[in-house]
Amino acid sequence: MSDAATAPVSVFAPWEDPQAKPLIQFQNVTKRWGDFTAIDDLSIDIYTKEFFALLGPSGCGKTTMMRMLAGFETPTEGKILIDGQDVAAIPPNKRAVNMMFQSYALFPHLSVAENIAFGLKRDKLPKDQIAARVEEMLTLVQLNKFANRKPHQISGGQRQRVALARSLAKAPKLLLLDEPLGALDKKLRQDTQFELMDIQEKTGTTFVIVTHDQEEAMTVASRIAVMDHGQIIQVDTPSKIYEEPKSVYVADFIGDVNLIKGKVSHYDDGHAAISWAEGQPELKGISPLSLTLGSEATLAVRPEKLSIYTSRPKDQTNVIKGKVLDIAYLGNMSTYVIETPTGEHIKAQIANTRRIQRRQITWEDKVWLSFTETAGVVLDR
Amino acid sequence: MRRLSWFNAISLTLGFAFLYIPMLILITYSFNAGKLVTVWSGFSTKWYGELFRNEAFLDAAWVTLKVAVMSSTIATVLGTMAAYVMVRAGRFPGRTLFSGMIYAPLVMPEVITGLSLLLLFISIGLDRGVLTIVLAHTTFSMCFVSVVVSSRLVTFDQSLEEAALDLGCTGFEAFRLVTLPIIMPAVVSGWLLAFTLSLDDLVIASFTSGPSSTTLPIKIFSAVRLGVSPEINALSTIMIGLVTIGVIGASLTSKRSIAKRQKDEQGAIQ
Repeated sequence: MSDAATAPVSVFAPWEDPQAKPLIQFQNVTKRWGDFTAIDDLSIDIYTKEFFALLGPSGCGKTTMMRMLAGFETPTEGKILIDGQDVAAIPPNKRAVNMMFQSYALFPHLSVAENIAFGLKRDKLPKDQIAARVEEMLTLVQLNKFANRKPHQISGGQRQRVALARSLAKAPKLLLLDEPLGALDKKLRQDTQFELMDIQEKTGTTFVIVTHDQEEAMTVASRIAVMDHGQIIQVDTPSKIYEEPKSVYVADFIGDVNLIKGKVSHYDDGHAAISWAEGQPELKGISPLSLTLGSEATLAVRPEKLSIYTSRPKDQTNVIKGKVLDIAYLGNMSTYVIETPTGEHIKAQIANTRRIQRRQITWEDKVWLSFTETAGVVLDR
Repeated sequence: MRRLSWFNAISLTLGFAFLYIPMLILITYSFNAGKLVTVWSGFSTKWYGELFRNEAFLDAAWVTLKVAVMSSTIATVLGTMAAYVMVRAGRFPGRTLFSGMIYAPLVMPEVITGLSLLLLFISIGLDRGVLTIVLAHTTFSMCFVSVVVSSRLVTFDQSLEEAALDLGCTGFEAFRLVTLPIIMPAVVSGWLLAFTLSLDDLVIASFTSGPSSTTLPIKIFSAVRLGVSPEINALSTIMIGLVTIGVIGASLTSKRSIAKRQKDEQGAIQ
């Protein structure tokens, strides 16, 4: 085993390398329409070969950011640099950026192959070169058999792949994907997510994806920017966003979470505890923030990090007593809703490794919940 | 098949009778052998022959056709441009005023349009002839084209144009390569509408035509004032025939393209 510091970096994480030059830089960008501020003094760096997700509820400004990258909108204030070059004066047709539209925007009067060739023809490439590139793209998205069909003659999933092939045909430095899988049903969406990652890896293109589907962002992205009201709340890898959210908003937006309110009773360099109810032992967790003793805080803990016991567990921190209020059977797992003596509801998720008939815990049972010191995160308010 | 109730049958008969008896009478009398329009004196096609020997009518028909083709083509270009700007330019000061002004000629009495054009042509010293009729027809049929095209553009997915720009088109290329081919059916029907409007216009043409450029409607109208002749009946019958063929042809083509589209879409599902 070699020392981790000297081992070659195999993990893709250019954002941690201070030497890395970002492909895209938003520098204090603001976009206003009249009184409405869509993007509010936003700065961010995105690196080459990243699969970067902009995640947020509708109206949070994520689509505006994407349209500014494509050149359909210009920032009211601030600068956007692509490859170190200010792109304000470059019109959409001169940018090495291509976009896959939410509606796919396939040209209905052109065949699949002609759609893919459209951008190449604008570049005045020789005919045989265009034909070869179209063929290559068709192979990439496995649509060779459908080259001569019109868009309305193929299925929704195939249309999505044509749109992807068309936007990749010009080998852009940056591909923008606007809710690319929104129109597909769940099963197809999951398959396509893996296909997208595969294609992103094969072509080495930088992808920026806009989505409101947190599962999709978690699956495909190398980093996620969680946005709200025109601002980026947190940028991190999917696992960090999930495990170490820096705010209640992020914790609550991604996945299922128990939010237990209380007051900071202990704080010591990344470790914190809150007192949350009269007569109950304090709950310990980690904290990425610097907290002041006695201030209001929220402990966020994921349901699957909780264990359920039928008797008081020994040698465990973070023990909460309660009774089973509800059980939701989801097949692979069950969600138990536990009511504490103070009337709070806490969710615990347990994998169903056994058949349901053998379940020990049922409604109205007295139970104890517990989680480790590093499972919960203590956050502001 | 459901049988019609007697009430529906009568309504239908009366409705069709009301619409088509006048035309049937006209067509019937166009084959009348006698000169008197109201007295039937045997079948003959001689008035059709007479018609094709009548230089004045043929000249008028030629002028009408020339005017219709030219004015509807110019009106289509201008009307499409106007529609595009109105739908795409977004909000700009005076937008409502502009769009109102484009559509005003739709409701303007033709007499007023004709008179104002006449005054304009006189004041700038333009001799009345084919050119003035073309200009006049372009003016009033442009707004019809604009209405037809803009109603299509409103439902046009703007991301198609953005996709074209994104793939390297200039604004004009995006219009020529993407927008125009897709809205083409609306542009063509706008052209057809302008063409027919120009063909049967009497009022505006009579204000703006000169002595050397009589259109067919003017010719027919002035001929009828001297008495209806079987020749006019024959001419009208030919026009009815042409219109019928046009309408049937248009509906057949659109029906066929709808059927083809449905078949294609079924193919896509499988």
